[in-house]
Amino acid sequence: MFNYTFRWNQALKSLPQMLEGALVTMEIAILSMVIGIAIAIVLTLFRLSPLRPLRAVAAVWVEIARNTPALFQIYMVHFGLGSFGIHLTPYLSLLIGIAYNNAGYLTENFRGALTAIPETQTRAARSLGMTSLQAFRHVVMPQMLRIAFLPMTNQMVWAILMTSLGAVVAMNSDLYGVANDLNARTFRTFEIFAIAAVIFYLITKTITISARLLAARLFRY
Amino acid sequence: MKRTFVMAGALALAALTMPAKADKLDDIIASGTLRCAVVLDFPPMGFRDENNQPVGFDVDYCRDLAKALGVEAEIVETTFPERIPALMSGRVDVAVASTSDTLERAKTVGFTIPYYAFENAVVANEKSGIESWEDMKGKTIGATAGTYEAIWIEGRLKEWGAGEFRPYQNQADVFLALSQGQIDATVSTVEVAEANVKSGKFPGIRIVDKAPMVPDYVGLITLREEYGLINYMNLFINQQVRTGRYQELYRKWVGDGEPADLTVKGVYR
Amino acid sequence: MFDTALTVNDLLFLARGAGMTLLVTAIAVGLGTLMGIVFGVVRYQVGPWWGAPLTFFLDIFRSIPLLIQLVLANAFVTTVLGFRVSGFTVACGVLSLYTAAYCAEIVRGGIEAVPQTVRRAARSLGMSWGQDMTHIVLPLATRVALPSWIGLALGVMKDTSLVFVVQVVELLKSTQILITRLQEPLFLLLICGLFYFLISFPIARFGGYLEKKWLAND
Repeated sequence: MFNYTFRWNQALKSLPQMLEGALVTMEIAILSMVIGIAIAIVLTLFRLSPLRPLRAVAAVWVEIARNTPALFQIYMVHFGLGSFGIHLTPYLSLLIGIAYNNAGYLTENFRGALTAIPETQTRAARSLGMTSLQAFRHVVMPQMLRIAFLPMTNQMVWAILMTSLGAVVAMNSDLYGVANDLNARTFRTFEIFAIAAVIFYLITKTITISARLLAARLFRY
Repeated sequence: MKRTFVMAGALALAALTMPAKADKLDDIIASGTLRCAVVLDFPPMGFRDENNQPVGFDVDYCRDLAKALGVEAEIVETTFPERIPALMSGRVDVAVASTSDTLERAKTVGFTIPYYAFENAVVANEKSGIESWEDMKGKTIGATAGTYEAIWIEGRLKEWGAGEFRPYQNQADVFLALSQGQIDATVSTVEVAEANVKSGKFPGIRIVDKAPMVPDYVGLITLREEYGLINYMNLFINQQVRTGRYQELYRKWVGDGEPADLTVKGVYR
Repeated sequence: MFDTALTVNDLLFLARGAGMTLLVTAIAVGLGTLMGIVFGVVRYQVGPWWGAPLTFFLDIFRSIPLLIQLVLANAFVTTVLGFRVSGFTVACGVLSLYTAAYCAEIVRGGIEAVPQTVRRAARSLGMSWGQDMTHIVLPLATRVALPSWIGLALGVMKDTSLVFVVQVVELLKSTQILITRLQEPLFLLLICGLFYFLISFPIARFGGYLEKKWLAND
């Protein structure tokens, strides 16, 4: 039926290499989420701040992250910063690119979550003698992170998927990079990327399912 | 009478619709277009002019081939890593894309006899302090993923056990990264290195040394099983040299002097 | 700062790339939304158990990098099956299914947001299933779904930047081609980014405005 000879052997032989790549992919995704969440919390504070310049920084960050392609952002981190003499390794370019994107989207998610937290709570905390930062830290933020848990898992999945864009900045140790390199060498495109696709699917499914289980445990009221 | 007429009509229809084992050579001639994959970030072999139209040695070579076949040429831009997948997916008929005739690739695609031969040079960023090819040891070296040069560099770096290799997805990004100083050096064909240095668009890059590689013979490629087309193209390449067109194209795109000898001494084909 | 060699011709070249970005987006969002509505309604109607195969199929498009979907679909259709289709067709096909996968979720969410009581009331007034769907569910679900759908459409527009892998020259690829020739990476990338931004930002703002307005009216 097919005028095509599958050569699964050759592709399967590189499975260990791809699994190693999968670890790098997960590492980048996790790191980019940790950095992204940290920055998003700061940007959320900026947004709530009475200082106009801080609000502007947050707005510019969020709007650029949300309104340009992630591929563009990663390319920009590598070659855009590169023209200013700032040289980042492929790994760092990809990590920073994804973290930048994560931070933008998460800030927006946090904004949504904040609308669900009554203003009165902050006022109550302030009247107990907390500073506004303390009120945010101890009263608002824990709830915000809880409400935004589901969007955060989605973003984590996005982060995994975005690691595939690293090839444009010469990244070749993550899962997509390994597959892409093998493809450039052996041209068994279908077999190699089919295996990579299955691994990606398993990773993202593991994340969504464990997040659901975690949510069920953590957020029992 | 009527019945025989209908039968004859049915037979004629069957003859028209049933594909009589046409091969790619027939298909190209029948379709009236030859679709060539050409790499356009590889001056002077392939690049774009001020109107963003494809030009260069490979572009002309494709047009010559189309003319010989009596069809129109259609240039499809691919990057180096994309040219073989583009061929495999039937998006192009042949690749006139300076493809080194490696044995690994020959497992997938069919090569003609060489139509050009390159020497490779080490191109370095001036700040890297690289003066010879051995200085690349321990440095950050880039090349286009999967190319002959890339495979050679990776081999050397592995041998030295020092240095970092960066496979970019196209040739343009390699020179951009080199010019920005993101990588210390690359290995590229002398023709391309000279064209890029001469263009003045890449400040800070310099050709420092010849790369001690086996001469890089490049062939036209098409699908592995298309013997008819490969056979035709072999003769076409032979004619290009015989008629002096090879030299003419060399003078037009590369420069004065003699183009590389396409024969290998002491062995057939 | 920007002493550029960019000509009007080059801008036209970029504009053609931008046109391709918009064309692929329009086709993918159009077809994807139609399919997404069908898939979403079917999944809601047949329930989670019978809908499982469809759910699984659609889930694939949301769990694998789009870049791999494109490469894999391209290799499968053209190399394995041997169909001669253009990169443009592959790009539109994959992006349509990709859009449909997300859209089906949005549609299902929208239908589920319509209170059961309202629908039962409609049916008890003698409305058929079709009438209930068109007169009751459609307007109410649209309100819930539209902001997410706008987000999806914009997401797809940004994701078209990946169709270069099947040799479709869209905006970002056109930009790279010009960078190759002119070697002005920063300037050209800024133009490219600005284009995406100018299309995406106002529409995203409009989506946010709708969301806020409809939320306030509830």
